[in-house]
Amino acid sequence: MNALLSRRAPRLALGLIAPALLLAGWQWLATSGGASAVALAPLGSVAAAFVELVGNGTIFGDIVATLTRAFTGFAIGAGLGVATGTATAVWPLLNRVIAPLLNALRQVPMIGWLPLIGLWFGTGEGSELIVVCLGAFFPAMLNTHAGIANVEQRYLDVGEVFRFTTGQRFRRILLPAAMPLILTGLTQALAFAWIGTLASELLMGAGGGLGVTLQTAQVQQRLDVILVTVAITAILGFAINQIIARVRREVLRWQPASI
Amino acid sequence: MASRPLPLPAPAAATAGRSPFAPLAAPLSLLAVWQLACMSGLFPPQVLVPPSEVARTLWLMAGSGELERHIGDSLYRLAFGFAIGALAGLAFGAAIALSRLAEAAFSPLFLTLWQVPVIAFIPTMVLFLGINEPFKIAIVAVAAFFPIALATFDAVRGVPRAWFEVARVYRTRLPDLVRRILIPATVPAVLTGLRIALTRAWIVLVAAELLAADSGIGQMMEMGRQLFQLDVVLAGVVVSGLIGFLLDRGAREIERRATKWRTA
Repeated sequence: MNALLSRRAPRLALGLIAPALLLAGWQWLATSGGASAVALAPLGSVAAAFVELVGNGTIFGDIVATLTRAFTGFAIGAGLGVATGTATAVWPLLNRVIAPLLNALRQVPMIGWLPLIGLWFGTGEGSELIVVCLGAFFPAMLNTHAGIANVEQRYLDVGEVFRFTTGQRFRRILLPAAMPLILTGLTQALAFAWIGTLASELLMGAGGGLGVTLQTAQVQQRLDVILVTVAITAILGFAINQIIARVRREVLRWQPASI
Repeated sequence: MASRPLPLPAPAAATAGRSPFAPLAAPLSLLAVWQLACMSGLFPPQVLVPPSEVARTLWLMAGSGELERHIGDSLYRLAFGFAIGALAGLAFGAAIALSRLAEAAFSPLFLTLWQVPVIAFIPTMVLFLGINEPFKIAIVAVAAFFPIALATFDAVRGVPRAWFEVARVYRTRLPDLVRRILIPATVPAVLTGLRIALTRAWIVLVAAELLAADSGIGQMMEMGRQLFQLDVVLAGVVVSGLIGFLLDRGAREIERRATKWRTA
């Protein structure tokens, strides 16, 4: 058995059994006409929905809208986060003043801000972007701060010896030493931006995007559209993870392999 | 996507002072800034109500029993859903860690579903379960299931092989193996997974209540938003933040106590 499992092809086949059973059970329930068949869409209609969404191009518009929102919000939120984290790590006084504020604010989950933001800025695309920025801001800030504030003293001592200027010290010691944690922060920020994008689209329903399509499909009881959209969400999420992993490897190539 | 546990380094040494009042510095300074911003007259009361007003609203809602009802409903859903998700996650994680066959059969499907943010499952679940209690409990269970299953898998896989070999030498029976080796060896990592799952489940529950509910903290905020009751919305923000904070703190405390023997 174990010998069989260590080979690639049987493993792959085995992995396909559970999804296949799931689909078969699904199809059986959908076509048997029981009480749950109202909600279930047969596989044929899911495939048809996919063809329809791809054919009229709406799905590409949604993907572009969602990705644009996620990455714009990530760029703004994480950019501000890295800047704030750096500033609070370099100037202890600033840290003393604003860290307690930010610490209290970040206790509220990203989604908890949605109604308040909706009330302040309306439930438009701007509000959706603010939620994404907020989600990306805190992980970027916290990790950048931790990375720069905890640079080893001996590195800084070497800088002293070389009489580095402030700029040199920052560029040649603080930044490289903090880079692993900053990247961790950016990774988390992107993950939060991605979830925040879908959540805000789902809850506010403004503009276009995968979340908006999900919301509309739910109201129209189009399970086939929902399933296609969820599948695309999964693929995009997976792709983003892969990109992050690659960037991390590239940027941290000089580091020992343990990180 | 939300696969990484979030380590939360405290951003300030300021909050780690020795004074017993140090933990209060964060909320108090926020309240002070908030109150000052309101008193400065920069913001009209339709945009920002002072904390004193929010406190009054909370007091009134607590007096009428409304606040307790919302909090009680939310916490009940959280507890019920989390219990289901945690048990399923523990069982599933342990199963795919211990059996190569189960791993090969189920991990591809598991890892595929893991790519979908739990929030994206909300519309599907609404179609299947409606918008009543079963839906909210199920979404909490799903949110808790994934991080716990993954943490359990990692923890069980991380147990050194040699320990199992020792158990074999002593002919330890399965119940003893679980009780004396598996559980002590995996408790720290599993507890971390449970804590992360708990805070995540709370966030997803608030989102689900925002979308569809007749009670709960999320619904309280959503109603407040629709009726332009800024004080109610802000009260909801404060309460949801406080509950999230207390859940995380409580779980950390349990984690610390349960793993104390390790460092001793």
